[in-house]
Amino acid sequence: MAAAQIFAVVIFVAMFVLIVMDKIERHYVTLGSGILTLIVVFGICMKSGKAVWNTLALKGFATKDFWYQVTESESKGINWATIIFIAGMMVMVEGMAKAGFFRWLCMKIAFLVKCRTIPVFITFMIMSAVLSMFIDSITVIMFLAAVTIELSQLLKFNPVPMILSEIFCANLGGSATMCGDPPNIIVGTSLGYSFSDFLINTGLVAGISLIFSIIFFYFAFKKELVSNSSEKIDMSKLPKPSEAITSKRDFIVSSVIFGCAVLLLITHATTHLTVASIGLFIAVITLIAFAKDAAELLKKVDYKTLIFFIGLFIVVGGLEETGILELIAKFIENISGGNAMLMIAIILWVSAIASAFVDNIPFAATMVPVIQSLAETSGVALPTLAWTLSIGTDIGGSATPIGASANVVGTSVAAKNGYPISWGRYCKKLAPATIIVLGISTVYIFMRYL
Amino acid sequence: MEQLIISVGREFGSGGRVIAEALAERFGIPIYDRHLITEIADKTGLTPEQIEKYNENPKKRIISRRVRGYSNSIEDNIAEMQFDFLKEKSESGESFVVVGRCSETKLKSNPALVSLFILADMDAKVKRVMEIYELSKEDAEDFIFKKDKKRKRYHNYHCSGHWGDSRLYDICINSSCLGIEKTVDYLESYIRARKDI
Repeated sequence: MAAAQIFAVVIFVAMFVLIVMDKIERHYVTLGSGILTLIVVFGICMKSGKAVWNTLALKGFATKDFWYQVTESESKGINWATIIFIAGMMVMVEGMAKAGFFRWLCMKIAFLVKCRTIPVFITFMIMSAVLSMFIDSITVIMFLAAVTIELSQLLKFNPVPMILSEIFCANLGGSATMCGDPPNIIVGTSLGYSFSDFLINTGLVAGISLIFSIIFFYFAFKKELVSNSSEKIDMSKLPKPSEAITSKRDFIVSSVIFGCAVLLLITHATTHLTVASIGLFIAVITLIAFAKDAAELLKKVDYKTLIFFIGLFIVVGGLEETGILELIAKFIENISGGNAMLMIAIILWVSAIASAFVDNIPFAATMVPVIQSLAETSGVALPTLAWTLSIGTDIGGSATPIGASANVVGTSVAAKNGYPISWGRYCKKLAPATIIVLGISTVYIFMRYL
Repeated sequence: MEQLIISVGREFGSGGRVIAEALAERFGIPIYDRHLITEIADKTGLTPEQIEKYNENPKKRIISRRVRGYSNSIEDNIAEMQFDFLKEKSESGESFVVVGRCSETKLKSNPALVSLFILADMDAKVKRVMEIYELSKEDAEDFIFKKDKKRKRYHNYHCSGHWGDSRLYDICINSSCLGIEKTVDYLESYIRARKDI
């Protein structure tokens, strides 16, 4: 077993280093590492076909629980539910983008507040958080940042404060629900939690934090935004929201599908439909509704991310099957001396700091089995640890320009339009905001769960 | 004259930029080197100083990340803007000379491209750098080493081929053998023969 453990750790560390180095595309890195785990760790060292089978988790597809789940159940190995759900949502989002939904929504809200800088600033932060509760933050920021830049050129304000605030709120909104951020999907599907479980736990603290964040960003960026906002705005010169809609029929259809997805997610604890079923259903109705563009929508799905997930789950499966993650759990338990408060503080802050510098998806995938093991041995309730992990990984990612995908996309869109955002500029405002929200979350978790 | 794009890769101190300028003059076409920076500055609203700071610089890997083709690295974004600009110019049918910017790879699909790589003996490069930058021999050597290392990292990050690898270019030429002037003559005749001008 020692050799298997050593190889599992070496492959995992090498995978992380290669992801950070960014020389080889990350999906090749995780897939290659996954294949190595299957061959070297499970095949050569453990000689265990069962470990391979458990990690590939293919039999899950044939079980009723995978699609229709009455009782909570946990999953191991490749988390196919996460992959199917993300793929389904990607298809839906492509349909919405094609119809012009996101651009229309951004312009509509800007018009509703008469394109005044401060109201746009505040409503865009709220919109960023709300949209990110249901749609991946990359898509949200891609559109929001583009519209923000367009508005900034027409209304003559600096878009950087607004883009930074939108990035932060997208990550915050993502932490509120099960489908908002990939770590939450992994936590939720691995441990069998529902959309409403997340909403009443991580959602509540995200809501409280959003209020504090809006106040913080208002005061942090007030000077930069107010300076140019005194000029009178000629609304007739601005592009109308309706101009964003490429096809009325597609717009209505994609809005209805989005509404269905939200409804199915909110009610999935009652309907017992799993996120895998919802993802598949949403993808299928989108493809039927956009039949003539179905091939184009399928082509636009980000397969690289899906492959990244598959490889990642295999590598984490290697750590799990060889007992490495149990050792990490024992280590956390030992240093916290069984003190639940200390344990939670460690998970929250270590997750946050790690997520600020490395991809939070591999981190969350690795930590899920760790908290399962911790809950069994330490007696701290598993849901408490799960919410702590979700908040830590989701919020911590906001602190640096590389902590989360939305940050990378937002800063890139800004740079491409002539507004480069350096690490210093980014961290000066967003790192303190992250610390404030983590502080609020620590107090919230202590008061509510301990 | 049908479209002509001359891409000039160069070692630091080899006289590559001077050769590129001379070729541009002889063929009567514009050159994009520093000019590329001002063109992009005009287009994006960035200042030339801002672009210059990140120009032909490799990104800092540890503090950079790429997601679905988007990168937080300012170096990456400036590089991509330059590549897009060059592609736009190339597709518009315009003739031009471009120095560096991975142009031999980024514009490879355009049949109008002639790609050159200028190298030189170390002694000649040191002598040239000492004269232009008023440096001591040691400092000049150090400067050349650092500049070439940076260019190599920049090139090899954005392209699959290796910087200075002869297989990547139509011609690799040592400017110390003929001297700058005769190297320009030689390259001019090569390009005229290639393009039947």
